[in-house]
Amino acid sequence: MSQSSTMTTPGRPKRRFPFEIDLKRREWIAAYLFLAPFLLFFSVFVVRAVIAAVEMSFYDWQILRPTRPFVGLDNYNELLNDDVWWISLKNTLVFTVMTVTGTTILGLVSAVAVTRPIKGQGFYRVLLYMPSLLSVGAVGLIWVWLLNTQFGVINYILSFIGIRPINWLGEPELVLPALSLTTIWWTFGFPMLIFIAGLQAIPQQLYEAARIDGANGLQIFFRITLPLLRPTILFVTVTGVISHFQVFGQPLIMTTGGPGRSSYTVIYYLYQIAWTAFRMGYGAAVAVALAVIMALMTLFQFIFINRRVEY
Amino acid sequence: MFKRLSFVTTLVILAALILVVPVMAQDEEPTADVSVLGSGDISISFWNGLTGSDGVTLNEMLANFVAENPEITVTTEIVAWNDLYAKLQAAFVAGNPPDVFMLHASEVPQFGSYGVLKDLGPWYTSGGGWFPDDDISESTLNGMMYEGTLVAIPLDNHGRGLWINVDMFEAAGLDPDMDPPTTYEGWVDLFQQLTLDADGNNAASPDFDPENVVQWGYAVGEWPRVNFLGALAQQGGSLVSEDGSTVTVNSEAGITALQQAVDLVYEYNVSPPEAGFDTWNAFGAGTLAVIPTGTWFRNQAETFSDINSRAWPAPQFGPEPGTWFGAHAWMVPASLEGEKLDAVETLIQWVSENQVAWAASGQVPARLSAQAALDADNYPSNILLGQGFSDYGVLDYGHVAIQEMYAALDPELSEALNGLKTVEEALNDAAERMQAVLDRN
Repeated sequence: MSQSSTMTTPGRPKRRFPFEIDLKRREWIAAYLFLAPFLLFFSVFVVRAVIAAVEMSFYDWQILRPTRPFVGLDNYNELLNDDVWWISLKNTLVFTVMTVTGTTILGLVSAVAVTRPIKGQGFYRVLLYMPSLLSVGAVGLIWVWLLNTQFGVINYILSFIGIRPINWLGEPELVLPALSLTTIWWTFGFPMLIFIAGLQAIPQQLYEAARIDGANGLQIFFRITLPLLRPTILFVTVTGVISHFQVFGQPLIMTTGGPGRSSYTVIYYLYQIAWTAFRMGYGAAVAVALAVIMALMTLFQFIFINRRVEY
Repeated sequence: MFKRLSFVTTLVILAALILVVPVMAQDEEPTADVSVLGSGDISISFWNGLTGSDGVTLNEMLANFVAENPEITVTTEIVAWNDLYAKLQAAFVAGNPPDVFMLHASEVPQFGSYGVLKDLGPWYTSGGGWFPDDDISESTLNGMMYEGTLVAIPLDNHGRGLWINVDMFEAAGLDPDMDPPTTYEGWVDLFQQLTLDADGNNAASPDFDPENVVQWGYAVGEWPRVNFLGALAQQGGSLVSEDGSTVTVNSEAGITALQQAVDLVYEYNVSPPEAGFDTWNAFGAGTLAVIPTGTWFRNQAETFSDINSRAWPAPQFGPEPGTWFGAHAWMVPASLEGEKLDAVETLIQWVSENQVAWAASGQVPARLSAQAALDADNYPSNILLGQGFSDYGVLDYGHVAIQEMYAALDPELSEALNGLKTVEEALNDAAERMQAVLDRN
């Protein structure tokens, strides 16, 4: 079709239209027309917001205050010297490492289990994915009750083996693991789905050849399945880090950051700064710093894991 | 390998079933947080943070109001307090605030400083209006002012007291009708008799096992900040210096007040640590003898039908009695004019003149005449605790950055009450952080 549009009838002069567009440009326009709705929303609600946040971080910006003095890098300077920021960052890192590890392992194990040709395979897949459908509010409230020191089911079960009530959400050493456990249960369904897709993409001949060569289940898993899942693992860990680094609802609902500041996370602290203290400028500086850290971590993951990935 | 995986999978499925089924079985009727009352032509919006039974009481009052004023429709929106502060600010920026809203006296300076509150002086009798200035306590009246201008109308006084489990008192050989102790040592002795281990030994017994407590005498974790502010006043201390320039939580008075609370946990073993203890449900389950709570607990206590409870005055740990109280107050955007303003004034006036009905929420009506009119049989806790507010209550501190100051104080109190910092460390850190807030504002 593109060729015919440029052909001319012999003997007749080439007719040129004033708005004639060449093929390349026409494709370019079509592509951007398709992209336009998304780009419009992306520009207004993401790009504009990001630019506004960066701009805001250079001001002493309080919502209803009539003046918003420019403070340059003062907010970033304050951030570097803010011990609560560092506590929150450390807690967030610990939480993220525990949770990403947990969701990745549990997601992989579950995926391997429900990929086997078993009766009711679809039912098990749905069942395991169900917690992911819950809101953070529901998950938080359920687990506050499960982990309740006095009335919780978990402590009740542990009491049968002689373990005294554990203050899961009240001990500084336990609170982050408890929040992580909650989050792993809630979110491992997504990695499981991704791993199922990854497992189904592995050629069956490899397994058959391995079995003929006498490989056992463990050898097959570690020599075939795991290496060929590396791109999937990369995707799961990168998206997991991005997601769990922004943990907010769980500490807000389950611990309000306590005991003390033992479960303060970066976004929880950001919420306090911006929406309790109403210091939007400083809050924006925290948000920008968090975005930079997450970008660096993602880059690091790509470099580190990508080295051994075979696509 | 796969056998192991099957076992793990079975466990995971069981866990998922255990956890998901209760969610699916939950009551599907959500609590309504937006109510449209009446069908009059003049529609006014009203935002507040009364998420407990007090919100239900107020909506019942407003239903009566619109029945008497059929030309007015009131749309109430109940939002958790912390969300309300943010929502209000965003609404003011957007130029679309509610027609009337309710906050606390302590937040009057914050919103007053934004210049968004209407001068309500003309509604007070001192300004030629209908609300009698002399029918509320002086401290409540002061709490309605920002820089000398009356910008709010008080609805109530709500504050701290105790609820006791009468049966536990009697089982411990204590008379629930006795005069409460007036010294820290007296309270410790009381709490020790009410704290029991699994073998039935109380906390004063040499055989008492603090690792195996089945009944606590007291709980320091029930809103520690207001407990601390009351105890601080009892020691003669305050949150900031008289001129408002210096944070004084780490004064000798502050250290003594907080140390006494910490000692109830770690020295006398009569209270669990602050974090991870569910005070209201422990009281309802009969494992907590004395709960420090507030006027708002009245209706909650009635839901614990198996618990024979009653209100007691706030404990006196220091040389002088003292307790924390706050005040809910009506505020109106400065921009509101015309018939909506008239309707809002009619609404506030109606509720103010019917404040006795507000006592059903558990709170103490702000008007002294309404307090005097309360029926002693129906409202014993309102009367008892309200008397304390009048006699020795300390109104919550008001400041333009009060939320930020409390956000700095609360984690430090938690650190001390959970044994993560010494009292001095916690209060010094709190003072440093709060001072930075003061200096910035």
